[in-house]
Amino acid sequence: MVEVRGRALRSPRWAAAAAAFALLAAACGTVGEATSSVAGSDGLVIGVQRDQPGLGQQIGEPADGYDSYEGFDIRMAKEIARHLKVPAANVTFRRVASKDREELIQSGAVDMVVGTYSITPERKTKVKFAGPYYVAHQDILVRKSNPASIGDLHDLAGKRLCMVPGSQSFQRVATEQSVSAVPVEAEGYTDCLNKLIAGDLDAISTDDLILAGLASEAAKKGEYMRLVNAPFSDERYGVGLRQDDVEGCEAVNEAITKMYQDGTMRLQLKRWFAPTGLDLTTTVPQFEGCI
Amino acid sequence: MTAVRQAPGTAQPAPSQPPAPPARRRTTGLRRAEPETPPGRVARLLPRTVAARIRTLTAVSLVLLVALLAVAWAAIANAREGVRVIGQDAGPQVVATGDLYFQLTDMDAQLANALLAGGAAGGARDQALARYNDNRLKAGDALLKAAKLADERTEENTARDVLDALGRYERLAGQALLLDRQSDRASGAPSAEVIGLYRQATDLMKLDLLPKAYNLTLDNGTLVRHTYEDKRSAVLTGRMWVLITGLALLVVLAGFQLYLAKRFRRMLNVPLALATLASLVLVVTGTAMLSGQASHLRQAKEDGFDSILSLARARAISNSAAADETRFLLDPDRADAYEQVYLNKSQTVLYLPAGNLTEYNKAVQGDLSFEPGRARFLGFLGTEANRPTESGEQLSQMVNALNKALADYQKVQANDRQMRDLVHAGKRSEAIAARASAAEDFAVYDRSLQSLIGLHQKEFDEAVKDGDDGTSGWYTVLPIAGVAIALLVLVGVRPRLAEYRWSK
Repeated sequence: MVEVRGRALRSPRWAAAAAAFALLAAACGTVGEATSSVAGSDGLVIGVQRDQPGLGQQIGEPADGYDSYEGFDIRMAKEIARHLKVPAANVTFRRVASKDREELIQSGAVDMVVGTYSITPERKTKVKFAGPYYVAHQDILVRKSNPASIGDLHDLAGKRLCMVPGSQSFQRVATEQSVSAVPVEAEGYTDCLNKLIAGDLDAISTDDLILAGLASEAAKKGEYMRLVNAPFSDERYGVGLRQDDVEGCEAVNEAITKMYQDGTMRLQLKRWFAPTGLDLTTTVPQFEGCI
Repeated sequence: MTAVRQAPGTAQPAPSQPPAPPARRRTTGLRRAEPETPPGRVARLLPRTVAARIRTLTAVSLVLLVALLAVAWAAIANAREGVRVIGQDAGPQVVATGDLYFQLTDMDAQLANALLAGGAAGGARDQALARYNDNRLKAGDALLKAAKLADERTEENTARDVLDALGRYERLAGQALLLDRQSDRASGAPSAEVIGLYRQATDLMKLDLLPKAYNLTLDNGTLVRHTYEDKRSAVLTGRMWVLITGLALLVVLAGFQLYLAKRFRRMLNVPLALATLASLVLVVTGTAMLSGQASHLRQAKEDGFDSILSLARARAISNSAAADETRFLLDPDRADAYEQVYLNKSQTVLYLPAGNLTEYNKAVQGDLSFEPGRARFLGFLGTEANRPTESGEQLSQMVNALNKALADYQKVQANDRQMRDLVHAGKRSEAIAARASAAEDFAVYDRSLQSLIGLHQKEFDEAVKDGDDGTSGWYTVLPIAGVAIALLVLVGVRPRLAEYRWSK
């Protein structure tokens, strides 16, 4: 009797204590996550693009699967994870839209973003960039049969140009270079390609690596595209990390340096882009720096 | 005794029991203290005689003394290693690789100048080539230094790749110059073949050489940051252990003193008191010295090195942006790309939100005055403006130097706007002609960055020297102090032990 009563008295107290402990642990866990570095972490959630053929493309299910994506960026992400000594089983991919990348990094929903993520001064005010691991150049893609001749950037004035929210590309044309192209909004670059094929667009302008992927994708459907080959910007593809992750940034930079030194980059660039005929740079880019 | 033995069968208690009546315990303790029955577990571990207790206390003091010396030694070793890496290795290497970047950039700029000038009267080409050669020599020098200091495999590989790429660059530059001379033109644009060669050379510089030189600088930043964090925390941990072992030693010595005073009824054991005092002085000065080391390390890193690194990077990026201006003029086909890159680099140096270069040029000409720690611009120069500095005099010196650099930067950006406006108005040759005075303005800006670096270098050198001086001599002081304290303890204890021997 006594014992039962004692238990009845004690148990809520224990429950409260356990709950408080759990809360505390959860709070600590959250804090720990926010300040933890990708260097030395056991698992990684990597944000990637899913609709950029040749760079980051979803090819299967589940959406977070290690083997559900393919492309140059995916390969980079896997190599970086390997250099950070994170086993493949603990690497999770998460598809991100261009416009959400900063927010997902800041909120901790992803540990890093490897997805045609150009380093820009504006973005640097929100996230930290390791790398760049490659410097692409913005170029223009048109239909081969396009009657309107587009020879360089300035010919885009008055033409219908694809605009993907969160992507820097349209701004580069319209704001930076002050070429008054007509924006046609699309969800992503595959959507841009569909619109170009359908004739809703005159041109797509973004990084040459993406365009090359789109062109070969279109060729598979029997639609032939032409890369104008008039590069007008440096797009430095960085690895987006949390603003305070200096340690992780340095570790990723070291990984990238090693990838260039041991020939991984040459191999991967060739594998994904050699058929496109692009000029590929196989030497390590100038890093942004972590502090 | 025999009687007892001969009567085992009597009612007397068994004699095998050790006879230890409490009455036989001597309060003076000069003779062997009889063990109590039954001895407790702890009591059995404790020494049972006064002499043994004195010996044990002596041994404990000496062990603690050795421990104190060892942790102090280790902490000093950490501090010295930190000062060495930051002050003698990585710090100078940052300067060396920063210079390397500058010299490589200037080589490429001078090659462009030489090609632009052509064989026109005034000897512009010869001047440019003289500077080119000068830079090449200095670059070789800086590269040698950087390679010598490289201490990681990846870093070594990078240094070697730079050397290799420099050789290839030289070959292309030589070909371009030769071809240009053979074409025998007075001035104006060089031939397409020359431009083709120059493009190859400048691409090599831009894509291969400079990135690696810059990454070498960043590697050193990483090295310094790691060393700083490791060593500073090691020094602080060492300080904590010095305090712990030091306090333990002081407690034991004081307890020893009290024990002797009680046992031997003496007021003060002078040598032991001196040993206690010496230990106290050692612990206090050692702790203070280690605190000083931690702060010297912090000063060298945060007030000196961090600024040197970020200004070296600002200088590197500014120089490469200036080269992009020249390329913009020299290579109209890629002018758009060069302009975008110029904007990007400018925003890295001094960030103000702007959609394009025209907007940026305009924004930069606005008010750039700042209150230290609260600048409204970012980028390398913003970081410098936002850096908290300590002393008032240094602060005003830095602020003045930074303000000068900012004003010079505004001039550079104004020139850039002017040059681009001329080009867009179709006056390319005028734009090229205006390059000479713009280059001078840029040199002024570059020099004010250098003098700002110089100020931080001074602070860095002082902190490194203070760090070096702070520990110098401690490797001598520690053993001497250790031997002295140990001797004092022994001298203090010896007569007491001797007393015990006498009474035996």
